[in-house]
Amino acid sequence: MVEVTIDPTTRIEGHHGTTLEVEDGQVVEANSQMKMFRGAEIITIGRTPRDAAQITGMVCGVCFLCHRLCSSKAAEDAAMNAGAFDGPPRNAVLLRDAAEGIFYLWNHAIHLFALVGPDYSDAVADTGFDRLDPLEGEGYQGALENQRQLMKALTEFGGRAPHPVGYIPGGLATNPDASTIEQVKSRVREVSEWLGPTEAVPEVLENVQNGEFDPDLGEGLHDVVSILVGAAELGAADIGAGPNRYYSNGIFEDPETEELFLPRGVYRDGEVELLSKAEIVEGITEDTEYSWYTDESGGPPTEAQPPEPDLDKDEAYSWGKAPRFDGQSMEVGPLARLVIADLDPFDLRDTLGGGATESNTLNRLIARAQETLVVRDQVLEWLDAIDPADPFMADFPDEFTGEGVGLFEPSRGALSHYVDVEAGTIERYQIITPTLWNIGPRDGDGQPSILEEAVVGDPVEDVEHPLGVMRTIRSFDPCLACAVHVRSPDADYETVIEPAQPGLDGGVGSCPIGDAPVSDHE
Amino acid sequence: MSLPEPESVSQASEADGSRGPSSSRRNFLQLAAGAAAGTIITQYSTEIGVALEQATDGDLEVVWLQGQACTGCTISVLQGQYPTLEEVLSEFRLEVTFHPTIMPEAGEVAIDAMSDSPDVLIVEGSIPVDIPEAATVGQTPDGESKPLVDWVQELAPESEYVLAVGNCASFGGWPAAENKRNLYDLGANVTGARGLQFEQRTERGVLGPDFTSGAGLPVINLAGCPVHPDYVLLTIATVLNGHVPELDAYNRPKPFYEPLVHDNCPLRGYFDRGEFAETPGDEGCLIKIGCAGPYTRCDDQTRLWNDGTSVCLNVGSPCIGCMEPGFWDRFAPMGEEVERQSLFGSITAEQAGWAGVAAAGVGIGAHAVRKATGYGSFDGDEDAEAAAEASPESSAEPTDGDTED
Repeated sequence: MVEVTIDPTTRIEGHHGTTLEVEDGQVVEANSQMKMFRGAEIITIGRTPRDAAQITGMVCGVCFLCHRLCSSKAAEDAAMNAGAFDGPPRNAVLLRDAAEGIFYLWNHAIHLFALVGPDYSDAVADTGFDRLDPLEGEGYQGALENQRQLMKALTEFGGRAPHPVGYIPGGLATNPDASTIEQVKSRVREVSEWLGPTEAVPEVLENVQNGEFDPDLGEGLHDVVSILVGAAELGAADIGAGPNRYYSNGIFEDPETEELFLPRGVYRDGEVELLSKAEIVEGITEDTEYSWYTDESGGPPTEAQPPEPDLDKDEAYSWGKAPRFDGQSMEVGPLARLVIADLDPFDLRDTLGGGATESNTLNRLIARAQETLVVRDQVLEWLDAIDPADPFMADFPDEFTGEGVGLFEPSRGALSHYVDVEAGTIERYQIITPTLWNIGPRDGDGQPSILEEAVVGDPVEDVEHPLGVMRTIRSFDPCLACAVHVRSPDADYETVIEPAQPGLDGGVGSCPIGDAPVSDHE
Repeated sequence: MSLPEPESVSQASEADGSRGPSSSRRNFLQLAAGAAAGTIITQYSTEIGVALEQATDGDLEVVWLQGQACTGCTISVLQGQYPTLEEVLSEFRLEVTFHPTIMPEAGEVAIDAMSDSPDVLIVEGSIPVDIPEAATVGQTPDGESKPLVDWVQELAPESEYVLAVGNCASFGGWPAAENKRNLYDLGANVTGARGLQFEQRTERGVLGPDFTSGAGLPVINLAGCPVHPDYVLLTIATVLNGHVPELDAYNRPKPFYEPLVHDNCPLRGYFDRGEFAETPGDEGCLIKIGCAGPYTRCDDQTRLWNDGTSVCLNVGSPCIGCMEPGFWDRFAPMGEEVERQSLFGSITAEQAGWAGVAAAGVGIGAHAVRKATGYGSFDGDEDAEAAAEASPESSAEPTDGDTED
């Protein structure tokens, strides 16, 4: 048994660690550790619902918009349950759809190009992946340039990005005119053109496999497909298998029918179950057996107290809690959404990724690319449907008493905010993030989180280079500050692994998935 | 407590002669202060580039640490246009030896790559001191998770310049906001989150009030939630060019943090006419629904965000005061009128607005109006301003949470 430590994990958001135990060339156990605590829920209590949206919106500067909107939905739900609010106006619903859709495009681009892209650079160098050199690559620089366009689009309504301030409980703080909406659309269109035509995917795929690059088919599409092909060639479909259980809160609401463009539900035992909001809320609990929180901090999020730190727990190893649905771990994120929506555009997951519903490292990347294509035209349609003559805001008084739940589905997966308001003041607040679902700790039954399960069985012939583990961790697009540990229970051996280092020496490096020595590609 | 005098900082540094401005180089912070709205970086991008290249004769080592951070400041800096971050990294050869979000390496390789005596140390996020385990990166020789407070205390004294990026690293930010119910006996500041040299408006940062970096400067605070990208890149250009930025009482570069939001507000006309929004989405001045503009200093009303796209007040959002120490509780609850701190007693928004109208009618100067209404600063009357701003915390020993006003 060997124990190895990787700390920090980089190219993710936040502090995180994983301890791996390796035996006979395989990961046999992993502990996923979240390494930061700030107490957002504690700080939110005693304030107004409006302030909660402001504070939680700034919990994360990478997924800023979603917390703000999810908190707003929770406050609106509470106000509606109290009879103090009729719901946000039609324009606000459409605008939230469009804004979060733009955010999907932004986040998926940043993740694919800047965060996981370098993990696969060497394998696809011949297919043009040198375009994604983290400093010099034209593709990388093009992606950074285009992400600015998307942030500007969010800024037109929000005043700035990250941490926009215009999106508030009740709707939007301002009444954008037709020209502002047109400006947003033109920014989205520009990025869409850089990406390239959706229908070109098969041709681009063939080009990439043949080492050809046709800029007319879309520079963005070429680069994204290069990542997918490179990852496939490295065997990313063979690692990182989760339990094939997925959960999504659903997103993109039709303001007239209230139907969700990407549906709400779970997938387990090979079947999709579309669920109501109440059924989702009912099914969720949190466990703190291995968390640096007291036992009382767990339970149903509609009842539990805010997380209370307890650093003296012997077995604890994470600042995260372990959320479960019907007692089961659930994978969340783009793959979960598309499996539950029964979407596999161009059969990419079926052919490249080893099956449309298979949970693995490659399929998480493919789903991100597919979702980018699925959402981008919708964003323009939602913006088109806005009528600037109608209101964008429906205010409600703070002084109500009620409980509310906001279910949201940011790019990284299912997000829930729970709020209890007493005479205008928050008495209880709970947040369950996508990253908790994917890479939280194990629970009291010993059931590992999705990540902890996904890396078990990962071949690690050379403990100094468990590169597949790193790729698997990043495939979840985790949003926290991270580090990864591998340690030996009998303490007879300890080393610190040196994971993938593409980009060192100023060029693309090499990072095969197993333990093969790092080749000198350059 | 005694706040450092801005003048003494720059005078002392220039007096020793080591950092005096060179005639061949320009102080870009001063350029930025004098330029028209939003144009400075575009206009001087070439010169900024040249200055950086001159200053970086050989590689410069930059270490970027994240404490209790949300990575929002990193994302914000990625939105900088002139120069873009990638240009700074490649053309200007700034060598970021450690940045958790963008560096290719991971694990011990990443830690080994980190310079132990950086030219520029940048810290994003607050530093927890009551629960040091609440933010860690890498490991100690014993294999324990290494708290950020240890990293900062080791690296800062070895650094030529130390920049606190964002409100959290500057003043504690929202992690230092009040635990209003005093839950779990954790104290008003849940984790003991602090900035590098300040905790809110008190000099209780992790480095202590007397800290100076290798260049003889205190921590330069680039506040904001998030930081404006121009502030980071222009400040780096300035210090690497041998200039000493003039700092305010909270060690923020004055050119960026001297203008009062209220003075340059796009909605100022409504205020002067006494027209106030009663709820979000209404037309009018936003003071009655919580605008912190009269108490907040930054130039983003004219600089704008995201390459000149917009700013908070342009989209109907009250200023939330994110550039200020005490940000959160000083301006909370956010939807309500911020309690005024007037030299002449309390005053309502209506009175203030009508005072402006009356002043315009009888030709009273803007200074007199501001003085009468208790808003903002008065040129040439800094003692009064300092008294107005400093009296709450100078009269009593600061407490956790810093909610004195």
